[in-house]
Amino acid sequence: MQVDVYGDTLCALVSATALASTGNQVQLHLPAGPHAEQLQRGECPFREAGLADLMAEQLQGGRLMLAPLAAPPQPSAVIWLALNPDSMPEALSLIAALPERCTRRWLVVNQSTFAVGSSELLQQTLLDCDTPPVNPGAVVSLPDLLIEGNALQSFMRADSWLLGADADWARQLVTELLRPFNRRRDAIMPMRPREAEFTKLAITGMLATRLSYMNDMANLADSLDVDIEQVRQGMGADRRIGDAYLYPGCGFGGLSFSRDVMSLASTLEGSGLAAQLLDEVLNINERQKEVLFRKLWRHYGTDLRGRKVALWGVAFKPETSRINNAPALKLLEALWAQGVEVHVHDPRALDTLARWAGERDDLVLHQDPYAAVAGADALMLVTEWKAYWSPDLPRLRELMAAPLLLDGRNVWDPAFMKQNGFTYYGIGRR
Amino acid sequence: MSSSLTHKPAWQALMQHAAELRSSHLAELFAADAGRFDSLHRTFGPLLFDFSKQRLDARTLPLLFDLAAEQGLAEHMSELFSGAAVNPSEGRAAMHWALRLPAEHGCVLAGEDINAQVQAQLQRMDDIVQKVRSGQWRGATGEAITDVVNIGVGGSDLGPLMVTEALTDSRPANDSPLRVHFASTMDGSQVSQLLGGLNPHATLFIISSKSFSTIDTLSNAATARGWLERELGELPGLLACHFIGVSAAAERMMEWGIAPANQLALWEWVGGRFSLWSAIGLPIALSIGMAGFRELLAGAHAMDEHFRQTPWADNLPVLLGLIGIWNTNMLGINAHAVLPYDGRLKELPNYLEQLEMESNGKSVNLAGDTVDYATCPIVWGTIGPNAQHAFYQLLHQGTEPVTCDFIVPARRYREAQHSLAVAELRAQHELALANCLAQSRLLALGDAAVEDADTLPRNRRYRGNQPSSTLLLDELTPYSLGALIALYEHKVFVQSVIWEINPFDQWGVEMGKRIAVDALACIRGDIKRLPGADASTAGLLARIMAGSA
Repeated sequence: MQVDVYGDTLCALVSATALASTGNQVQLHLPAGPHAEQLQRGECPFREAGLADLMAEQLQGGRLMLAPLAAPPQPSAVIWLALNPDSMPEALSLIAALPERCTRRWLVVNQSTFAVGSSELLQQTLLDCDTPPVNPGAVVSLPDLLIEGNALQSFMRADSWLLGADADWARQLVTELLRPFNRRRDAIMPMRPREAEFTKLAITGMLATRLSYMNDMANLADSLDVDIEQVRQGMGADRRIGDAYLYPGCGFGGLSFSRDVMSLASTLEGSGLAAQLLDEVLNINERQKEVLFRKLWRHYGTDLRGRKVALWGVAFKPETSRINNAPALKLLEALWAQGVEVHVHDPRALDTLARWAGERDDLVLHQDPYAAVAGADALMLVTEWKAYWSPDLPRLRELMAAPLLLDGRNVWDPAFMKQNGFTYYGIGRR
Repeated sequence: MSSSLTHKPAWQALMQHAAELRSSHLAELFAADAGRFDSLHRTFGPLLFDFSKQRLDARTLPLLFDLAAEQGLAEHMSELFSGAAVNPSEGRAAMHWALRLPAEHGCVLAGEDINAQVQAQLQRMDDIVQKVRSGQWRGATGEAITDVVNIGVGGSDLGPLMVTEALTDSRPANDSPLRVHFASTMDGSQVSQLLGGLNPHATLFIISSKSFSTIDTLSNAATARGWLERELGELPGLLACHFIGVSAAAERMMEWGIAPANQLALWEWVGGRFSLWSAIGLPIALSIGMAGFRELLAGAHAMDEHFRQTPWADNLPVLLGLIGIWNTNMLGINAHAVLPYDGRLKELPNYLEQLEMESNGKSVNLAGDTVDYATCPIVWGTIGPNAQHAFYQLLHQGTEPVTCDFIVPARRYREAQHSLAVAELRAQHELALANCLAQSRLLALGDAAVEDADTLPRNRRYRGNQPSSTLLLDELTPYSLGALIALYEHKVFVQSVIWEINPFDQWGVEMGKRIAVDALACIRGDIKRLPGADASTAGLLARIMAGSA
């Protein structure tokens, strides 16, 4: 089949590559941006096992083609959306602009993480015609359930597919596209589009809830002289709980966890309903993003004016250059407001950060993590890039004005850091 | 002020004119002149002042202007606006108008650049407001401030409270979740209520006292401080993180422990009840943002300029003041009700009670003589629609003549945040508007406003002839409210000039505080008996002490 995939997300690249690898003719429409540029140069913007190789293979074989967002889709009329969570407006205009929208029977598969109800909105746009179409197209929801670090495999051998479709022909067509990835057992769970979307929201919400819960526990551990690491392992050992998403830290970010996405969309408005727990989970997370600031504030007895602080990591997670809702942003604002000069290192996100922050005297960007800590009154580890896990401690101590470490990801060992002459604060560590 | 006011020709002429008019009912005045509204209303900016329901006619105003001229109103106004010591008993100027000068206006008095000082404090307020509203003002444990409690009383409470409540709809959209509270009563009722529900980590207190010696305020502040120290422990920076001081007494703020960076200044030349335009207005600015606060100042400044420059015949504060003189002194009406038909203006009557009665509730003139004429009437009020279910019975059918000010915005609920319920809410506002018009009409016309009134029994009939003014605002905004408050400030000044009294002191509130010192010593057991106590006080004390034994 011919498939037109839209987006430069990990999900878009994985879906496009996997679909091409099973013989489909795939056109990948890329929004302008750094990912598009990298792909044009033949680089893969994501470090995912097997992805770069398989992608190169498909490109070479001609089954995968790169195209700009606005390029016309292929004739077979399958549109596959894997856009960023903040790209709902683009999705709507894309659909509105489909050629022969009212006469061709379009199948739109939406993998983008939009708010609940979005597929219905997209379908309204698709079918917004002067006279009702004879063969109406359909928008189906197929939420992105990729597990990062194992993204390609989690598509090619998915544990489950949530397939939200109202029309039988649409469900049949998607099932056919997924057939090569659905062999061990039938992992496709058919449901209505808003149910698929809601399930995705419920999954994200549960993960967020676990994190916020652990952060809450870690903050209590801080004041009760308990080491949260022992608690985390103990909890994870209980099979009813499991050990995923139990790491306390200085808050989570990213667009999928944003309030826009984790809210109930306009279709559900007017019901007077709101997700109470989820709302609180997000509130706790916003507070948690400032936890390192609070520790610094108290350490220095509320006197931060004129100090220098180094930040390691500003991306909302490792292996990305994105900073959407990243804890580092709230930290930066808190530090700046108190007259602190902030020196930042990040392997990939410095450009994005510079665009976000603009030119300012109290922000200095460094290509070298050790240059960032020179003369610093504290070092905050905010994103757990692997390169930060085993730093050169004597060098750090020598460079820093005060040997103060604030570990927002609990990647360092408190005892070892103290032995090496550092004052150490983790999240719930002792 | 050579001869007694009541013997001056202009006064006498007014008295005679009043005697002629007294027999005319408002219903007759309206019936006789279809153009009555046209000739007896004025507008300025967002305000329309309708005084056609006052018991006066075209001849009255010139006579009132004669009296104002004879009392030297123009000269007194230029003294007020030149920074002269218009408060002689305390040897001070009264320059609340300087607090709302545009930044670029020069105002140098006795070598001091007054406006530079004012602008500097506004800038400091701006910094604080910005920091708090952006969530970057931190408590001692690093939490962002979510609640601000203003501790103050009198002018440090009524003005900020009134404006903050009045402008709730002017809070910027996507607003910070900051909540602003007020605690004033010396018995601790409000602080005790508030502290129970607040998070000590995230609460900021503003201690607002011009003298920084007001016992009501300092006792509330001590309670707040004790609460923080108990809840958070003696953390470094506790006072600097949780207390802002606003005062003219920098040293006393210092002694109390207000960090220098958290001290906002005001000046001896601002009276407490005229001070909401200064840093005393910090709670207002925290609630609506500094841009809104500057709009409030701009509205008041526009009224200042209007007052200074407009001929009296079109000058709202002059007219409002002189019509009050007419009612009080010529028609002998000594009660005045303030009736806002807008729930947001709930605190306006309380505010005006202080502004008018603390300013002009006096019986000794500037020459030191006891006056032989009435001065400030009793001012009271509440939200009009609620008062309809309370004291309007007396207004309509009681024995006391009462003048009323009806205050109402023409348009409401145009802000985005009301979008969902806008139809219902606008319908409610229309209801309030209709009631406002109906009540002032019935008060003025009485039975003439009612069909077939003469068929009703006497206890269902309406005497009418109760005079009122209506102040119609286009909309209640920071700008229009600023203009409205300044209008009343200048009204009070105009009346003080006619009555020859000093509106800027308040010696009547001093002695009670001092006498309380002995009573307190007695209640606390420091002295056995209250020296020179009257039988009533002694009896009450005995009962109190018996209970505590």
